[in-house]
Amino acid sequence: MAASKKIMLAALVALVLGAGGFFLYINAAFPQDRCEGAKHLDRPEEFADCVTCHTKASPKVTQDWQESKHGVMLVKCVVCHGEPDGKGSVPFERAPDPIRICAQCHDPAIKRMVAKYGSNLDCNSCHPNHQNPMHGDAYENKIPTTKISLPE
Amino acid sequence: MTLSRRDFIKGSAAALALSAIGGPCFAAAKEEADKWVKGVCRYCGTGCGVLVGVNKDGRAVSIKGDPNNHNQGLLCLKGAMLIPVIYSTDRITEPMIRKDGKKSELTKVSWDVALDFAAKRFKDAVAEYGPDSIAYYGSGQALTEESYLANKIWKAGFRTNNVDGNPRLCMASAVGGYMTTFGKDEPMGTYNDIDNATCFFIIGSNTSEAHPVLFRRIARRKQSSPDVKIIVVDPRRTNTSRIADLHVFFKPGTDLALLNGMAHIIFKEELDDDRFIKRYLQFQDNEGNARSLEEYKEFVAQYTPEKVHEITGIDPDMVVKVARMFAESPATLSLWCMGINQRSRGVWANNLIHNLHLITGQIGRPGASPLSLTGQPNACGGVRDTGSLAHLLPAGRVVANEKHRNEIEDYWGVPRGTIQPKMGHHTVALFENMASGNVKAVFIHCTNPAHTLPHLNKYTKGLETAFVAQTECFHDAETLKYADVVFPAAFWCETEGVYGCTERRYSLIEQAVAPAGQSRPAVEILMEFAKRAGVDPKLMPYKNSADIWEEWRKLSQGTPYNFYGMTRERLKKESGIKWPCPSEDHPGTDLRYVRGEDPLVPVNHETKMFFYGRPDGKPIVYLRPYQPPFEPADDEYPFVLTTGRVIDHWHTATMTGQVPELRKAYPSAFVEINPDDAKKLNINNGDPVVLETRRDKMTFPARVTATCMPGLVFCPFFDKKLLVNRLFHDAVDAASKEPEYKICATKVYKQG
Ligand code: SF4
Repeated sequence: MAASKKIMLAALVALVLGAGGFFLYINAAFPQDRCEGAKHLDRPEEFADCVTCHTKASPKVTQDWQESKHGVMLVKCVVCHGEPDGKGSVPFERAPDPIRICAQCHDPAIKRMVAKYGSNLDCNSCHPNHQNPMHGDAYENKIPTTKISLPE
Repeated sequence: MTLSRRDFIKGSAAALALSAIGGPCFAAAKEEADKWVKGVCRYCGTGCGVLVGVNKDGRAVSIKGDPNNHNQGLLCLKGAMLIPVIYSTDRITEPMIRKDGKKSELTKVSWDVALDFAAKRFKDAVAEYGPDSIAYYGSGQALTEESYLANKIWKAGFRTNNVDGNPRLCMASAVGGYMTTFGKDEPMGTYNDIDNATCFFIIGSNTSEAHPVLFRRIARRKQSSPDVKIIVVDPRRTNTSRIADLHVFFKPGTDLALLNGMAHIIFKEELDDDRFIKRYLQFQDNEGNARSLEEYKEFVAQYTPEKVHEITGIDPDMVVKVARMFAESPATLSLWCMGINQRSRGVWANNLIHNLHLITGQIGRPGASPLSLTGQPNACGGVRDTGSLAHLLPAGRVVANEKHRNEIEDYWGVPRGTIQPKMGHHTVALFENMASGNVKAVFIHCTNPAHTLPHLNKYTKGLETAFVAQTECFHDAETLKYADVVFPAAFWCETEGVYGCTERRYSLIEQAVAPAGQSRPAVEILMEFAKRAGVDPKLMPYKNSADIWEEWRKLSQGTPYNFYGMTRERLKKESGIKWPCPSEDHPGTDLRYVRGEDPLVPVNHETKMFFYGRPDGKPIVYLRPYQPPFEPADDEYPFVLTTGRVIDHWHTATMTGQVPELRKAYPSAFVEINPDDAKKLNINNGDPVVLETRRDKMTFPARVTATCMPGLVFCPFFDKKLLVNRLFHDAVDAASKEPEYKICATKVYKQG
């Protein structure tokens, strides 16, 4: 009984370690919050030229940005996301902090929204930063294009 | 504050991640601001209001747009990344001198030693060679108080009119244009016109990259009223054209023909405003002879669409289309910048734009105006208005006019005859005279001529020869190589003073943080230096820059530049006010020269508009023929080279180069070349390409894009490792003396 208990325990430890290891491995290999550019770019002096790489690495996001108001106004990736090695003046973040980043330009709008809807700040959920095109529907209606169709 | 468990985990994970990243992460950005101090962005002529967030320790930690200034809270990427510039490791924080001539090293010394060292050289030069052997070379980035003070010190203290500055390289032609057409400098419209215009005529301006927040305002206008038309006339199809209805390419330097051709169509199709013309206008040719409307019509009739096509390459139909759009729109706003100003016929080009607005009556109504964009944050308020150029005196006066001199002498409390009647050296002549040894010592304030002068190889000789005292904030400035004394100046929000932007708006930059190291506000440096150099201290009875403002404000009273109502207290409370503003309860002026809007037009004036800048009240429409640029492309040098900005860098990148994100967006200059040309020359993206002009040759990495039209190549000028100005000639506009940075002939080939 004692022996089988030991085996069970060992198996459990192995399982936990294995699962943990796998989890860590997956996390490291497929990061959500890091740009691989920092590891692979051989030209660190060009770290802020995100678009060149991301046109291939994430074409949809890049095109969305390009056609968004931020793209037309040349508010480039690094302005909000920082540079991939995290050593720049803007912290490297996948989802920039509204208070620190968005407020630099949109403080008046943020204040208006907070007054209306309370302080649950997540600008991006209603105003997709990359999908607010100059042209098309949003251009005329001034509402975000990302719409969720509700089941009837 | 309560943290949910999720927030806590997120927070600690972020902290862990941050600590793991390490490196010189600017911790500033993470801290909370304790108070917000009002100011203006340090960079471009848009003049966006900012709020600098300062923490409990007195350190600037964040920045945001000022919601009450014209930018309504918005900033472009440069403005949003201003804070790291203050704390750059490249800051000069101690005075330095070169003890044993230009070849020796700059060594750190005390303030006293540095000031005495410089003062002695200026004093000696004046004693031995007279006052015209010294000069001041200022900047459209210096604070208004600094420029006003330096102007006074040199013109009334040292008694030389050798006071010029970098606005000569950027705004002089616009000044010449407004002065010759309307009699007084500065635009009649404001940024509010953008919200009311129904047609934008953008010529010679890459607004999107040079004035991003204004561009955004134009885009918003277009977005809210899609019927609004935007015409962009530029040999480069820049990002500005992304929102344009029409982009018009033309052979660089031929736009004068287009502008005259538009005038011809306007008359031919009866799109002119006959009532306005008859009531307000007069006509003049190049020799200053009065001409009639009929003669003017005949003159522009030479510029048929076919002739314009021959000269400019623009399709004849397009000429007609543009002219119609311009004239038929209810309110047309012209915007232009260096593409028009930095030209050997810059003043003429400015006049021709004004002509179009005058003959169509597109002026003096909301949205209808010729609005020249300034490159620098304080060229208008600081240099043009205070008259800190070789031929000017404060508030629209000129040195050549005895009455003007006497008015200023009386106000400054110096004997009549103190100010010299002879004009000083304009910029290019100044550096020529430094090279030839006529000017022995120069005080360079807040600018970087060793990077920005045209035909650099020729003019850096002046800096090698003359004694150079310089105020500077960053080691990165190219001119430091030639400086004999360097005074560390307090940077931007480390001191206080006024900036005046494109739209006649004066805003106060308040001091947010203490000056770095031993650096001092430039007004202190100038006064200390001048006293030691023998200038009468009675000329400078100021405790601080607010006192200087007070003097300047009172001097403006009763002039066409009247901003008497802008007291320091008021500027502290409000986010910028537009002059004329004659009294403290006056809100500022949007439409200059318009009855009921402009306080300088009597309320019961007989006509709606009153162009009081001219003695007869009548602006002049000029008969200016087309003239080619100084150095057009030819068989030997078949390409045209032009220069300009990129959005990420500002001027010589001494400031923007300090911000990792901006530096890495464009680490170095490049040459932009059209794919057709690239194919013919077998050039691929990134290839080293040689540009060879009659002055010099240099190699740039190629950027093959359709931005430039065929036959044109473009290089940005920010990179000090690739000083493109070495390739340029030094031809200047005959009237404004502004160099033609926009056009020179070049060979282009792949480096073999
Ligand atoms: S548009 Fe000009 S003034 Fe405004 S934030 Fe950008 S650089 Fe500064």
